[in-house]
Amino acid sequence: MAVESDRVTADVIEAMEFPDLARRYGVRGVPKIVINDRAEFVGALLEAEYLAQIRAAVEANGSKKNE
Amino acid sequence: MALIPDKDQATIRTHFDENLEGDVEIVMLTERPSPIIIPGKQACETCEDTEGLLKEVVALSNKLKLTVHDVGVGKDEAVKLGIDRVPAFVINGAARGKVRFFGIPSGYEFSALIADVVDVSRGTTDLSDETREYLAALTEDVNLKVFTTPT
Repeated sequence: MAVESDRVTADVIEAMEFPDLARRYGVRGVPKIVINDRAEFVGALLEAEYLAQIRAAVEANGSKKNE
Repeated sequence: MALIPDKDQATIRTHFDENLEGDVEIVMLTERPSPIIIPGKQACETCEDTEGLLKEVVALSNKLKLTVHDVGVGKDEAVKLGIDRVPAFVINGAARGKVRFFGIPSGYEFSALIADVVDVSRGTTDLSDETREYLAALTEDVNLKVFTTPT
């Protein structure tokens, strides 16, 4: 998704090399995806489901800003 | 001894020949061994192998280039890239956003690296029109952290 948008940064993180990050983000199973340090899910999702997760995370952030 | 088996190198070389479009530069941050021992400071265990692996990857196509920065010499590039740990590398090319790897890309991650190099070189992906339209219309930044382990 980062390839398609200059708004997106994709970080692939090897959890065993960076246990501090794995702990911080509660990584117990992989792949674990964390969106904007807020939303998260574990396991591979279909593209449409992945997009829904991103939409929800972005909309939740937008709602928070408007409060 | 090569990190990528010869047979796999041949396969990847062919894959790159058939699929790469634009040039790609991989910018790596590493910490090379220092002659000065600092008590309590741990050496980067996978930096050397990661650099070796990336050198083998870029050797498989003349459209690929590797630039390595040693954070032990200077931290300017790390600050510029917003990277605070090594080994790490960014894949630069026609892609609009940033694709970054932290840690050695072994196992399944290696396949992801090869696929990402191709996608970055093309600046496009096989994502659906709906996804691409959504991404094109984004008005705020999205950071995706994908945690993996070597498999």
